[in-house]
Amino acid sequence: MLKIGIVGFGRMGITHYSILNSHPNVKIVAVVDTSSLIMSLLNKYIGEINTYTDYNKLFGNEKLDAVIICTPPTLHYSIAIKAAKNNLHVFLEKPCTTRTDLSNDLARIFQQKGLINQVGYVNRFNDIFIKVKEYLNENLIGKVIRFKSEMYSRTITKSESNNDWRDSRESGGGATFDMAAHAIDLVNYLIGKPDKITGSSLTQIFSKNVEDAVNATFLYENGITGTLNVNWSDESYRKPTNKIEILGLDGKILADQHGIKLFRKTASARNNLIAGWNTIYITDVFKSVPFYVRGNEFTSELYHFIDCILDREKTNICSFKESSDTLEVIESIFKDFELNGRMK
Amino acid sequence: MEMIDKVVFGDNQFFGINHMSQEKAQQLSEKFYDIYSIIDIYQFAINSGIRAIMLNSNDRAREICTHFIENKSKFPELNWYPSIPYPHKYANLISEKGIVPTINEILLKDNSKLGVLGMVAKGGAAVLGRDAVRLLQILIDIEMKIFNGLNVKVIFLQNVITDLLLGYEVKELFYEFCKHIRKRYNAIPGFITMNMPMLKAKLYEWDIEDVVICTSFNKIGYLMSPNVETYIESALKNDSSKYQLMAMSTLASGAIPPKEAFDFINIQNIQSVVFGASSKDHIEQTISILKNSK
Repeated sequence: MLKIGIVGFGRMGITHYSILNSHPNVKIVAVVDTSSLIMSLLNKYIGEINTYTDYNKLFGNEKLDAVIICTPPTLHYSIAIKAAKNNLHVFLEKPCTTRTDLSNDLARIFQQKGLINQVGYVNRFNDIFIKVKEYLNENLIGKVIRFKSEMYSRTITKSESNNDWRDSRESGGGATFDMAAHAIDLVNYLIGKPDKITGSSLTQIFSKNVEDAVNATFLYENGITGTLNVNWSDESYRKPTNKIEILGLDGKILADQHGIKLFRKTASARNNLIAGWNTIYITDVFKSVPFYVRGNEFTSELYHFIDCILDREKTNICSFKESSDTLEVIESIFKDFELNGRMK
Repeated sequence: MEMIDKVVFGDNQFFGINHMSQEKAQQLSEKFYDIYSIIDIYQFAINSGIRAIMLNSNDRAREICTHFIENKSKFPELNWYPSIPYPHKYANLISEKGIVPTINEILLKDNSKLGVLGMVAKGGAAVLGRDAVRLLQILIDIEMKIFNGLNVKVIFLQNVITDLLLGYEVKELFYEFCKHIRKRYNAIPGFITMNMPMLKAKLYEWDIEDVVICTSFNKIGYLMSPNVETYIESALKNDSSKYQLMAMSTLASGAIPPKEAFDFINIQNIQSVVFGASSKDHIEQTISILKNSK
């Protein structure tokens, strides 16, 4: 039985608890959060659990195998370092940290110590995006020329002054860290890390201190170009939505979390694709999960983390190393915007 | 346990919800922009013999409820099957503000009649938080306000909340939900879930009986955890005098043709089916297939 602690009990911590608790090889032994109210609820309704408001006490008091860290991103580094010192495997919510050098540091330390490390880029576990990756690997649209990666949601829809971490870039808030990270990771996963960032714009809509929308152009040495368009204040979307469009020499892919439209110049009998437009729905490609909360991908990512701890032959598909690439792109966007993005 | 309606008319189509395709979802959202186009569809369904309606307590449900309450004499007697809450409303608020401020905001917003204000004055969520059961009851009452005046038969806990709580395995919250629904609303408690075999096993273990379980049920196993085989077995062994099963997502959001879908559903040990349809033809087609397959 793997003993697990959860640090940070906001929206993601609450979901991860529910999913992990369903795993037959996992026992959640402790939870850490600064909200004494939420900790007292857990104590009252879940008998066998220890709660802490200070994560240092968690590492001092508990014998754990792994920790799930879902605090504001700026705290990730110091908590993960403590976990590494205690030889614990770590699952971190995205973004990994708020700085590439810190993320690289974590990647190096965890690799040296042979500890499993994973970041919560959940799109890598979405059955549709996994299928898109397969199609690209099979070269079904030919050499990639251009792409567009988008993410929209109605997360911030009012101008309200609050001191929440989401309204501070230093804490890992803002639409770029919080949402664009997903759209950038999807690009890194499907196409690869861009070599240069240009044309970045950050737009404030409701937030006081951070951007609510971000655009950027991605350039690659091999000639691929792409754009990023992310907005967390778009009320036309009911749920957070990732979209990717990839144009190749032999065809085109349009995908979101629910389906793929694939255009091919020629038919592919082996892949059951006709010449012209093909539609692949989530119902065609999904894989059942043992326990479902909010979406198959949330279960798949956590079960993958546990699988990697239990079976060391397995390779983690969303490690700290991969997530450093996303942070590097984010830092380039911020830098490009400061240099070129403002109206003089 | 009182039997529920065999066929219930669902609501996802009205609110831009389609699990298979965001494009379809957007088209539906455009089609049902105004309340009258929604009421037209209800009228077709009622004309085709539908007498039971499932409705999630989202932002637009209020105008639907108001229409049916104000025009009660124009409709035959209908059984209502509310599902509460609309989880994305809470999810967005929690992302924006955090959990405790979210609860405070929901409690404060236009709920003076529920006697919430006094409690909030004493510290809001902080006071209520020590008593999750009281908080649960108040949140139920807030969500149920819009259905006041309708004949409510079953009240469902929406699947995101049911499944999230199921993962915590806390008996008290399931028990207290059922108790409050029976006592305050004189209705049958229900749970919507994507984990029917596990939920049913837990309810049985906790001695929670006489409830309705609404769950995805289709031959391809879509939104059915852990898998379709376990679902079929669990339904087969089910004692329907304790747990009535209501199938949803029977067409897997359109992936399975209706005839094929209901041929599969009709050989399962299921007591009821909820279906949604966005046109007169679809309603008539579905009802005719349901009738003919039985």
